[in-house]
Amino acid sequence: MSLHFEFPANLSAEQFIAQLSDKADAQLVSRHYSIKTYYDSFDWRLYSNGVTCELDRSKSASSLTLTNLKTGLVIAGAEFDDVPKFSNQFAGAVRSALEPILEIRALSSVCTLNCESYHLNITNKDEKTVLRLLIEEHELLNNRVSLQPVKGYDKTAKHIAEILTAKLGLMPADKPVLLAALRLQGRRPNDYSSKLNINLDPAMRADIASKYIYSHLLKAIKANEQGTIADTDSEFLHDFRVAVRRTRSGLSQIKGVLPDNIVAHYAEFFSWLGQITGPTRDLDVYLLNFEHYKSSLPASIREDLNPLHDFLVAKKQKAHKELATKLRSARYKTTLSEWEQYLKKPSFKEPMEQNAHLTIKELADKRIWKVFNRALQEGDAINRESPAEALHELRKTCKKLRYLMEFFQSLYPDHQIKHLIKTLKGFQEVLGDFQDYAVQEQNLKLFSEEMMVLNTPSNTFLAMGVLIQDLDGRRCSARKDFASRFEDFKQEENRSAFKSLFDAKD
Amino acid sequence: MNVLAVYSIKGGVGKTSSAVNLAFNAAHSGYRTLVWDLDPQGASSYYFRVKPKIKGGSKDLIAGKRELDDLIKGTDFENLDLLPADFSFRNLDLVLDAKKKPTQQLKKLLKPLAEEYDFIFLDCPPNISLLSEAVFEASDILLSPIIPTTLSLRTLDQLKQFIEENGLKNLALIPFFSMADRRKKMHREIMDNLIESHPEILTAAIPYASDIERMGLERMPLGGYIKKSQSTKAYNELWQEILARCINN
Repeated sequence: MSLHFEFPANLSAEQFIAQLSDKADAQLVSRHYSIKTYYDSFDWRLYSNGVTCELDRSKSASSLTLTNLKTGLVIAGAEFDDVPKFSNQFAGAVRSALEPILEIRALSSVCTLNCESYHLNITNKDEKTVLRLLIEEHELLNNRVSLQPVKGYDKTAKHIAEILTAKLGLMPADKPVLLAALRLQGRRPNDYSSKLNINLDPAMRADIASKYIYSHLLKAIKANEQGTIADTDSEFLHDFRVAVRRTRSGLSQIKGVLPDNIVAHYAEFFSWLGQITGPTRDLDVYLLNFEHYKSSLPASIREDLNPLHDFLVAKKQKAHKELATKLRSARYKTTLSEWEQYLKKPSFKEPMEQNAHLTIKELADKRIWKVFNRALQEGDAINRESPAEALHELRKTCKKLRYLMEFFQSLYPDHQIKHLIKTLKGFQEVLGDFQDYAVQEQNLKLFSEEMMVLNTPSNTFLAMGVLIQDLDGRRCSARKDFASRFEDFKQEENRSAFKSLFDAKD
Repeated sequence: MNVLAVYSIKGGVGKTSSAVNLAFNAAHSGYRTLVWDLDPQGASSYYFRVKPKIKGGSKDLIAGKRELDDLIKGTDFENLDLLPADFSFRNLDLVLDAKKKPTQQLKKLLKPLAEEYDFIFLDCPPNISLLSEAVFEASDILLSPIIPTTLSLRTLDQLKQFIEENGLKNLALIPFFSMADRRKKMHREIMDNLIESHPEILTAAIPYASDIERMGLERMPLGGYIKKSQSTKAYNELWQEILARCINN
């Protein structure tokens, strides 16, 4: 049985109450004006997990409620004047509901509604309340009413629900008011996801398809720009950088489809974007890992590491400020809008570039197969004595392969390509770990030099030393793991799966 | 979950009004609270405007045919539910007697509610019977209202003796003065003497007051129709003392 109903257009709350009073003993308990603001993370984590988060502010109170999207039942609620940004700044049941869903993502408002709320009680002949009704009157949306059954009086709820639909012309409202409110703003939930989802037609001309891919990536860059500048949470910069890196990878890997001068010009621009965003991201990573760093130390010296946290926060703020300035610069704005214009321009009927005439499927097969083989060659050449750089190069090659597979995912049977991407991802982990631990080790040494002049307590350096030792241990074990993980990756089954999916000569 | 039985061997000492008003106080301070009206007269059901009737009566209830949870009614007050009385409760003793381990039955029935409620108040019928023994087994605290008269003093001692003789070690007996009239010299004297000889008696005393008597007309807990009076103050203080004992218990 639905507990939420939508009014027919033009039925006011007062008219509804008058009509209902003819059929049941209804008492108006209170009426007040409130402003409702809905919150979610930029990538709609709450909505995707079936939760709405609503702040209801009236003259006398301000409360936050988490509701199950499907059942309309309240999950948790608390009094709040301002909604904190991160889930760990909440307490109690709200925190436990939000933390596993939001993780490191910030909450921000997605839309606001003004509404007049009426609380009604339905009573029986003993004047006992047997059902509560909440009517919400909106300016631009149809009004709604929710039934709040009283325990042990389900029959009344059923009876009134029948009256509402059969006699008063209301319709069960299966979708939350949030959806209608978003539609008013021309938005819909899940309008952003950090996952790449590009639908390509295999017969598409390669140059046109490549521009289509770049347009997708450009959209992601632009979507994350403001959150990066405002530092709303660290994921904006992360997604921004991923889109930049994917664009760079596309420019170098989807070869021979766009004019060389264009490729060279924008490759340089996106490489610059990679550079200027790097320092802030690195510091974000240290800060995100900080609790993990601490817990890797013996308990007695964990707190000694805190000055490093302060140092990282200050350094990150400085780096972020510089980054924000650059993202507001003329160079950034002009070049990005030129790139947008270029992508929008219709392609030549007879392109000059050697691969532009290929279908995107032909080009995708060719490129993925080639880069896969290069990865195998590079991996085969690595032995116990090989320098760190060799692993780093292989890591880069695998990243290129991964991006290519993700760009062209829609051209291959879903299950098969997903499986191969997953296998590759698993192999990339060991390479990533090795590289990350090495960089972290090096950077911690650099940080300690900078911290020398800041009167940092000597125990902090001691704790950092232990941390470096721990990272070094992890780096060594990743290095040791490499050989067996590579063996896994290059096993016959995997190679033949790659061959059958991507080798056109096969 | 804390189970508090409001109990007295004597009738007419303010059991029901205490159970209803203390439960109201508990619910009002945010605790999920249930009142179980065990008295076939159904006075607390009446105060909450709930029909004193449960499906299947005492037989089905004790036989475990119905989940207690399905019989519970929400009251007009937030966090406060009621398990109504039924006229068949007059035979509860007989029904219990037919079961194995009759005194364990209430405890068993209440167990599934532990997650749902912070406080359960049992509004018990007067006199000592098999039902009251089952109530003692199920309860953490026995709240016993006493009118400051010599006779009440005797019944309190009887109750103490009963608890001791039956080895109810986990049951805390907490008496408090009810229907106390400070204008009466006898009430004043007995209260002063008793508190000295019985330190377990709570200091807050519920007055003999007309606003409490009005509950029958208003059909709701005191706090539902009066914001502030001597009586609401007394119940509030009494609840705070009981809460402190629950936390220490």
